[in-house]
Amino acid sequence: MKRTRRMLASALVAACLALPGGAAHAAKERLTIDLVGEPNSLDPHVQWNPDSYYVYRNIFDNLVTRDDKGLIAPQVATSWKQLSDTQIQFQLRDDITFHDGSKLTAEDVVFSVKRITDPKFASPQLGQFDKITDAVANDAKTVTLTTQGAYPALLAQLVKLSIVPKKVVEAVGKDAFNLAPVGSGPYKFGAWQRGVSVTLARNDAYWGTKAPFPTVVFRAIPDAATRVANLQAGTSDLAANLDGDLAAQLKTSQRAMPVPVLTERVAYLAMNVQKEPLNDPRVRRAIAQAIDKQAITDGVLGGTEKPLAQMLSPAHEGFVEGIKDLPFDLAKAKAQIAEVGPKAKQEIALVTAPVYDQRVVQALQQMLVDAGLNVKIEMTDMGSWLKRMQSGPDAIPVLAFSRWSCGCQDADGVLFPILHSASGWANAKDKAIEDALEAGRQTLDPAKRLAAYKTVHERIASEHFVIPLYQAAQMYGTSKNLVWTPTPNESIFVNRMSWKD
Amino acid sequence: MPGFLLQRAGQALVTILGVATLIFFVQRLTGDPTYLLVPETATKADIDALRHALGFDRPLFVQYLGFLADLARFDLGQSVVQRVPVIDIIGSRLPYTLMLAGGALTVACGIGIPVGILLALFRDSAAAKLAAGFVLAAQSMPTFWSGILLILLFAVTLGWLPPSSTGGFSHLVMPSIALGLLSMATFARITRAALIEEFTRDYVRTARARGVGPVRLLLRHIARNAAIPLITVAALEISNLLAGAVIVETVFAWPGLGQVTVQAILARDFLVVQGVVMLGALVTVGLNLLSDFLYSIVDPRIALGGGR
Repeated sequence: MKRTRRMLASALVAACLALPGGAAHAAKERLTIDLVGEPNSLDPHVQWNPDSYYVYRNIFDNLVTRDDKGLIAPQVATSWKQLSDTQIQFQLRDDITFHDGSKLTAEDVVFSVKRITDPKFASPQLGQFDKITDAVANDAKTVTLTTQGAYPALLAQLVKLSIVPKKVVEAVGKDAFNLAPVGSGPYKFGAWQRGVSVTLARNDAYWGTKAPFPTVVFRAIPDAATRVANLQAGTSDLAANLDGDLAAQLKTSQRAMPVPVLTERVAYLAMNVQKEPLNDPRVRRAIAQAIDKQAITDGVLGGTEKPLAQMLSPAHEGFVEGIKDLPFDLAKAKAQIAEVGPKAKQEIALVTAPVYDQRVVQALQQMLVDAGLNVKIEMTDMGSWLKRMQSGPDAIPVLAFSRWSCGCQDADGVLFPILHSASGWANAKDKAIEDALEAGRQTLDPAKRLAAYKTVHERIASEHFVIPLYQAAQMYGTSKNLVWTPTPNESIFVNRMSWKD
Repeated sequence: MPGFLLQRAGQALVTILGVATLIFFVQRLTGDPTYLLVPETATKADIDALRHALGFDRPLFVQYLGFLADLARFDLGQSVVQRVPVIDIIGSRLPYTLMLAGGALTVACGIGIPVGILLALFRDSAAAKLAAGFVLAAQSMPTFWSGILLILLFAVTLGWLPPSSTGGFSHLVMPSIALGLLSMATFARITRAALIEEFTRDYVRTARARGVGPVRLLLRHIARNAAIPLITVAALEISNLLAGAVIVETVFAWPGLGQVTVQAILARDFLVVQGVVMLGALVTVGLNLLSDFLYSIVDPRIALGGGR
């Protein structure tokens, strides 16, 4: 009898465990989000990694944020004014408490700025904040930041500056804070099951829009087909990083739907214009005419991506309306290559890494071969690819497919590293472009900046130092009950979502 | 005898040192992880600063000596990506790897051995041919495909099992089947071959002559002798299952060691890779040493000869 009872009990437990996680939809106690991997770290200052970013943005508040329309909006700071070209003063909210109950003050903001900009701390994000030379707390709710020269992209960068509690970080140290982070955001850190999931619990004392779900679970599901299966089976509510083909499967699903969004990620054909044969402007012109961007976005990628004529997307500050690129014209491209002669026929490597969509890389190769070039695809690992791409004009590959996001939606974070000689990625060595890029980062006047970036776009359109291809999309899949507007900066803010039964 | 053991221990130490040296230098041939850790917008100075902070700018030999010194203290270091001790990462993943290997072995033996018996007893029957076809098909399907098929059938369409991740026994079922199907054919084949060989032995004929029934003959007499090659194969398969589960772990989001190792290799998280490799080497060398020790107790001639 005893044994029968025990067996019944274990059967019951097994049955409970077997219930899919998302079965209890009625009250929606728990939102399950499937990411590719687990976070590298939940200390917002010690890594630069999308899966970490998705999670910790819900635990921490930032000095400023972007609203669903993509405009910079107050968060910890209620307002700000420029004291001079190099100084900006922020007024802070005084009703924010960290998850441990302590108050968020100007001291915490100053500590956070100094922590991430301290070279000894060696934050991978240092380059995004190292223009900030000083941070001072004027009083409990006022902070003044000083920048090295005028720095127009400052607010765009501060969107990513998470405010950490000085007392906690100093008391527990870096490693312990990573394991049990304390923020002031709409969710509190709950648990981290290594390799499986991170669970967050709603912060009921949150000062802003409270989150609709008491619990949110971010899971690591490396295989995209499995993420789709989870949505179809109803065991997850949101999945990131799907591709067009998988998203198409969701169109016929009873439970889930594809949710694409155009991001700030710009796909482009990177070139080394100092090396043969691309040092010949005629070859570059032929390449620009040989690539059918519309065929790539519609035919290869499924129609969500949008072709670009400039190296910025409409989501960027510095995007200029009306820039025209050379239309696709294979006949003209062929004629140009034939005119250049044998020099254009030498073998060129199109360098790529597995992380990029190989269908696009193969389409590019085919289009260039059709025009008469001799292009071979060269696959390398991501670490080697990054190293080679940043190794200066002598060593940068002749051709490479790349996608760029500065995570800041500002021209300075895209154009400067790709085109200015001060950066390892650049090889154009074009004076007009470099002058314009410097002008664009040294003035706070939006009109002057736009004029400077217009010069850059026009030079690219005429000289083809790089070929802008398309504005990349992020393909999410969600439960049909989830109401959510994804944004170009690829953030998942759970407190901006809602649930309809 | 102590001399023999000392010699064996010395050889084990040389092997460990060889593995440590190999994994250290081969990984570093690919560069360092700094570029993978920073945003695209990081300048050369930012990258150099991070490389310095992580210690990858030190001369290679200095890094190597540091690694050996840490190893001597059984310190596997800290992951440069996750910034937690490597031993914690391995410790959190190892139980899942063992669970999956156990599940897969159960499936492989549970189906493979009965099918092998069927194939041996009824060699030319339709049922045996059907079973052979099934075994062959199961072994021929790549796991990234069979895994997804299982998910679509049992999780999406029928809703019987959870599609992925961990949580309970039900989560273990599909990954175990996907992984076990691969080894199943080996078990079936070895079982069949061993049984057929035993059937021709004199003791079987004698037993039959004495009137021993077929079931009793199989279970009491033949099975015991046929089990020896099977146990050897099982031991080999266990090491395969422990090492070869990367794809199954990825498809089912099963947080085992294989998955974390591949991720660490791609991210050039050297210390994690070193930790996993050193752990594998230690276990293998340790077990070998133990078996040598046991041999020398069981068979003193081995120790006297100073080798085999």
